[in-house]
Amino acid sequence: MIIAERKPFKEIAAAVAPYDKILIVGCGTCVAVCLAGGEKEVGLLASQLKLAAGLKHRRIEVGEITVERQCDLEFLEPLCDFVADFDAIISMACGAGVQFLAHMCHFKPIFPAVDTTFIGVNNAVGYYTERCRACRRCYLGLTGGICPVTMCPKGLLNGPCGGTLNGKCEVDLQKDCAWSKIYQRLELEGRLDNLKEIVPLHPHSRGTTPGTVIHPAYRRRYGVDE
Amino acid sequence: MDFIPKILAYVCTYCTYTAADMAGSARMQYPDSVRIVKYLCTGRIDLLHILKAFEAGADGLLVGG
Repeated sequence: MIIAERKPFKEIAAAVAPYDKILIVGCGTCVAVCLAGGEKEVGLLASQLKLAAGLKHRRIEVGEITVERQCDLEFLEPLCDFVADFDAIISMACGAGVQFLAHMCHFKPIFPAVDTTFIGVNNAVGYYTERCRACRRCYLGLTGGICPVTMCPKGLLNGPCGGTLNGKCEVDLQKDCAWSKIYQRLELEGRLDNLKEIVPLHPHSRGTTPGTVIHPAYRRRYGVDE
Repeated sequence: MDFIPKILAYVCTYCTYTAADMAGSARMQYPDSVRIVKYLCTGRIDLLHILKAFEAGADGLLVGG
């Protein structure tokens, strides 16, 4: 899932300082799980904004709403009428959600309340680690389910660099060398032969942004080429 | 005019509220600026409840459980 971190309150408050009617839109999926932008965090931010405005003898109106997913047109469309009553929007979704909401709601200034961090996993409540760089070419089948692109800081695809020492990474000695882990894993599975396969250069050209994926069924039905 | 703080008391129904009840039976009094909100358990109290109290104009908050 997408991991995000709440922005410092000062930054959010400064961004919306000129507005009196603010709508905070939360997202009930990834950012809710990583405790950054779900329904509860929307309530907390709304309280913070109102209390901070009260201290400056200002009275502001703060609307709160949380949709299931801000990156999904189906959930976002019903919001459009709701937004009309407000001067500005704060989105607590990841960058994708903020942009989609901005696209849907014309003429309304929109501000992000979280910093989108990475695609990762939820190890425990409050402890998230990165696992995927969304690099558009997956090697996990070859590497025993350990991603060399993400877990190796150098993103090496054909074995470790010269800096690996006792299974640790030279970039950060606290961390395991991704390729040591891959070797151990493949050894356990009896698939060390995988390492003899030379992986060609990573297709970085595919990583040109922004990416688009069109499902074959969608293409068949609507005849979209690009 | 003297400032009389409005205090909200979030209390547990099983201990603090019962204690307040007993204090009442013993004819002990507390200022009428204290308002009691009864919780089934104070473990239910969330940061959001506390912020909402201040937002609604409370000057102080007492949690008893």
